[in-house]
Amino acid sequence: MLHNLKYELLIRIKSKGLVFWMILFPIALGAFFKISFGNIYDKYTSFSTVPAAVVENVSNPVFHEVIDKISEGDEPLLEVTYTDRKDALELLKDQKISGIIWIDDEITLSVASDSIEATVLESFLNQYKRQEKIITDTAKSNPAALENVISEISSETQSCTRIPLTEGNTDNMLNYFYNLIAMVALFGTEGGLEAAIRNQGNLSAVAARKCTSPSKKSVTLLTSLISACIVQALCCALTVTYVRFILNVDFGSRLPLVYLSGLIGSILGVSLGFVIGSVGKAGENAKTGICMAISLASCFFSGLMANNIKPMIISKAPWFNEINPAALISDSFYCLNVYSDYDRYIQKNITMLILSVLLAVIGLILTRRRKYASL
Amino acid sequence: MNETVVKIENLVKRYKDLIAVDHLNLEIKKGEVYGLLGPNGSGKSTTINSMLSLLSYDKGRIEIFGKEMTPVSYDIKKKIGIIMQDVAVFDELTVYENIDYFCGLYIKDKETRKKYVNDAVNFTGLNDFLKFYPKKLSGGLLRRLNIACGIAHKPELIILDEPTVAVDPQSRNRILEGIQELNQNGATIIYTSHYMEEVEQICTRIAIMDKGRKIAEGTKEELKGMIKNTETITVETDNVPDEILKKINSLSHIYETEQNEDKLIIRCCGGKHNLIRVLNILQESELNFGRVYTELPTLNDVFLEITGKALRDREE
Repeated sequence: MLHNLKYELLIRIKSKGLVFWMILFPIALGAFFKISFGNIYDKYTSFSTVPAAVVENVSNPVFHEVIDKISEGDEPLLEVTYTDRKDALELLKDQKISGIIWIDDEITLSVASDSIEATVLESFLNQYKRQEKIITDTAKSNPAALENVISEISSETQSCTRIPLTEGNTDNMLNYFYNLIAMVALFGTEGGLEAAIRNQGNLSAVAARKCTSPSKKSVTLLTSLISACIVQALCCALTVTYVRFILNVDFGSRLPLVYLSGLIGSILGVSLGFVIGSVGKAGENAKTGICMAISLASCFFSGLMANNIKPMIISKAPWFNEINPAALISDSFYCLNVYSDYDRYIQKNITMLILSVLLAVIGLILTRRRKYASL
Repeated sequence: MNETVVKIENLVKRYKDLIAVDHLNLEIKKGEVYGLLGPNGSGKSTTINSMLSLLSYDKGRIEIFGKEMTPVSYDIKKKIGIIMQDVAVFDELTVYENIDYFCGLYIKDKETRKKYVNDAVNFTGLNDFLKFYPKKLSGGLLRRLNIACGIAHKPELIILDEPTVAVDPQSRNRILEGIQELNQNGATIIYTSHYMEEVEQICTRIAIMDKGRKIAEGTKEELKGMIKNTETITVETDNVPDEILKKINSLSHIYETEQNEDKLIIRCCGGKHNLIRVLNILQESELNFGRVYTELPTLNDVFLEITGKALRDREE
């Protein structure tokens, strides 16, 4: 058994396909993702203080005080520059500020373009104007209630505290990296396929030679599958390490469990390839093509090529997402990163293990024959 | 020499409507180099694969070393070495690693295996190529590696299924000499080929197969004795006139003449001095001719006469 395992590992490690598909291709694709999407989250989705200019053409002490309040503290909403019209327009033109708040008889806003910062400024002004109108109207119509109204508005404002959904990294762009690792795990189909082809006497000459030897088929098959899982898991771990430590993608604080999911995903990939290799008498090239097509299709529906595919699948055919191998692998990474508990993570991994066992059993049933009708 | 190594009784293998092996009976004795001779599709490889329990068969019984052969006959499999028609080695492993891997499927003890692998390397002359990968080897060396992988564990019965296909003449001779050496070292050999001259060169007993049936069996002398043709005379000449052909045909012991482009082929059955009598007729008729030569029958003649190409054409 050890002799078999040694050589099975050697055969896989020396495979030229392994170096390209399991190592170079993921490295290149990961680098591409990092270059393409690496800054998108910081630029568009993470919140930061909005730089703005205020031009006071008339005095408005109340608004001035509000502006000062929201420009204070550790995480101020605005970073305000009080200036004149000319300088303000210059700053806006140079994109040093996101907008200009004009204080005239009416408070207005100028922005250079649509952006999250512009939306923040607009929302802030709308809210201020709405509350100012409520107070003004109340003062005119029912001065006695003014105190209560101000108190209500204050409490409304104070109750709007930030409640984070998660401590993890919710960057949508991470899905690309999750799917990249899922893709590497699913390239394990090739290892499973080889295990089937190299042990079924009717599929290859080396398998026929093995079948005529006194080595038990169960032993040669098992060592082939184990070696495929080991090599695949190592490639997957290498990809995780590369993405985490070279590309500096944040997978959260539970990194060992990311490696564990990579291992389970690799087993799933090998099992899937084993079944494909065991079905029918198509040649190795045809089956390799089928494996590649299934792996990439699985990754496509999981969002490797387009991030919006997965939400669409979840809304239209959620059951598919629950059995799609790539989605299971990438979802397990997502659950680990986003949720503080382990429930969903465990569920995803158990589903992967059940699928792996199911596929491996089907493969074993299909390859258990020792005699063939034709070679 | 009398111990039976392989016994096949009434073997039938069908592929849907095609009968690949048709009620085949074979008995191969210890120490023989037994040739299975036949054209492509005659059922040789199917017979071999059935013997090895790779193929299921419809009817019959196969015994090797006195025991029925099944896929789990591991004690029998230990004694068999197989050299397939297709080269069965791993491209990712070097020459040495390939031999060691396949030998390891039979020999568990590391020291013994190391010695056996070295013996196989020496035997096949692959010493200078141990670190080569199969893709870097020539066709002949690749075939030798294929043989080394099949015989490294020193089997008692070696089955070679068309081992010289697509091999250059030099490598082919080396392979054939190697097979004879293995036989001299005590191994029983089953050799399948569609190259008549190879089988004639190395086999002590031959079965001729056609359409899944064994149509003749015996030593090469016995097989040649089964046919009418005892001598073929070839005369290099163009368009021999009919009257001369009639004269030649009228000679005793000459049963067939054939004008084939620039050659006149004369087939004889028995008799003596056939060549001199034919030459006399040619000289009397003042016919221009070039070389004249005579050949004894080959297995090719045996096969052609027994299977009867014309008869098969009519059947088809």
